[in-house]
Amino acid sequence: MANESPPDPAAMFREFVTTWERNINSVANQVMGTESFSRLMQEAQRMQLALQQATSEAMGRRLAAMNMPTREDVIRLAEKLSEVDRRLARIEVSLDTDTAAITPDEVPRVGRPRTRQPPAEYLQGEKPR
Amino acid sequence: MTNTEATGDDAVGARVRGMVDRAIQRGVKGFQYATSGPAKVGLTPKTTLYGRGTLQLYHYKAQADELYRVPLLLVMATTNKAFVFDLLPGQRMVEFLLKRGFDVFVVDWNPPAPEERGLTLEDYTQDFIPTCIRKVQQETGQNDVSVIGYCMGGVLSLIYAATHTDGPLKNLVCLTTPIDWKQMGLTTMWNDPRYFDVDQVVDTLGVVPADFIRQMFEMQKPAQRLAGQLRASEQMWNDEFVRSYRAFQRWGDETLPLAGEYMRQTTKELSWDNKLFTGELVVGGREAKLANIRVPILSVVAEHDHLAPRDATKPLLDLVGSNDKQEILLKGGHVSLIAGPNAVGRMWPRLERWLAVRST
Repeated sequence: MANESPPDPAAMFREFVTTWERNINSVANQVMGTESFSRLMQEAQRMQLALQQATSEAMGRRLAAMNMPTREDVIRLAEKLSEVDRRLARIEVSLDTDTAAITPDEVPRVGRPRTRQPPAEYLQGEKPR
Repeated sequence: MTNTEATGDDAVGARVRGMVDRAIQRGVKGFQYATSGPAKVGLTPKTTLYGRGTLQLYHYKAQADELYRVPLLLVMATTNKAFVFDLLPGQRMVEFLLKRGFDVFVVDWNPPAPEERGLTLEDYTQDFIPTCIRKVQQETGQNDVSVIGYCMGGVLSLIYAATHTDGPLKNLVCLTTPIDWKQMGLTTMWNDPRYFDVDQVVDTLGVVPADFIRQMFEMQKPAQRLAGQLRASEQMWNDEFVRSYRAFQRWGDETLPLAGEYMRQTTKELSWDNKLFTGELVVGGREAKLANIRVPILSVVAEHDHLAPRDATKPLLDLVGSNDKQEILLKGGHVSLIAGPNAVGRMWPRLERWLAVRST
């Protein structure tokens, strides 16, 4: 008996935390995996979003009365700018494609050689490619 | 006193001294922890090759004298930052690949701005990924590109591959990528169309906030965060543990918001109608049937993945049209598959080996 090492409180603590975590997650998953939980969770979310929507609309009406742009107006404006940006990007890509009608492989590149081969043992069991 | 009793007393004494020493270190290092800034991550040298709104494309500086011919493009999940591939010294997937001779590019995401609320799967798969592939081709002078997608990044990569069958894709690797969205466990349950009003969420919020997304993740393992904090407080004396804990904590905290239309489309077409699995998905007017994919494909999945469970990832290889296809099932979870000590020993070497023989 005297040869047994004394208990390690830190190890016991870690074990306790692991067990606690596993149990809580397991119980919570059982509860949260039920249809009634899904319904309750989504109902609470629906109410919260409805309140947020109502607040946003009321604020929008006040800003409109003051002849000020709402957040929605600013976002719409930014969306239009973003669309212009996207069109420019598409034009850039199509220009790239035209100029790269010569395939990229033909474009000389300065840099490290791309001649690396896999180690021989990697090829064992592989079909020839 | 006998020798046995003396030895026992010594062991108890050593244990007590060790406990006192660690208690002191916990106090000192706990103070340092509380007063220090966020964990330093993403430090492998790189340049930003391209950026537009939410899209970022990085090119990592090569670390081998001789490179494989085919460059690699990693596509991150849209809900999280790509620094999970570049977390800590010795635990950086990009660094591992660079040292093994790959030329590595990464698609990362910024939080979508309010005006990007209208982004859809079409933007991600018919614009962002093809644009990045084009940039990689220009940068490297190579036609062929291999793509590695993680989680939702894997879904986007699959849709890209299925709709660009004559494209420059050489190899495709899907890491923990869900295919059958009816098998997504709690996510499927919570997305039940009878209760989840995705239209109200998107119409009200525009861009769906990061807190919303993070809660959906954390609720699946509600004790995980507190348990992590308890472990970290006990291990506060252990610099390596704390460094790793802080890096993962930062990654989890920096969950990204989602463009509303993208979330609406993902919920309705992927989750409710399961179109990726059934082969009915159409993106940008093109059929995104997985059977269209003919390139070599590797699927790496985790045994204990709670976000993309085994049943959700399993059907991939049966659905693709590739002859060269392989699945690797590993121990671990959704994140530990790609980052952390388990990934270093288990996943990365097998990924490297699969890619190496297909990248010349």
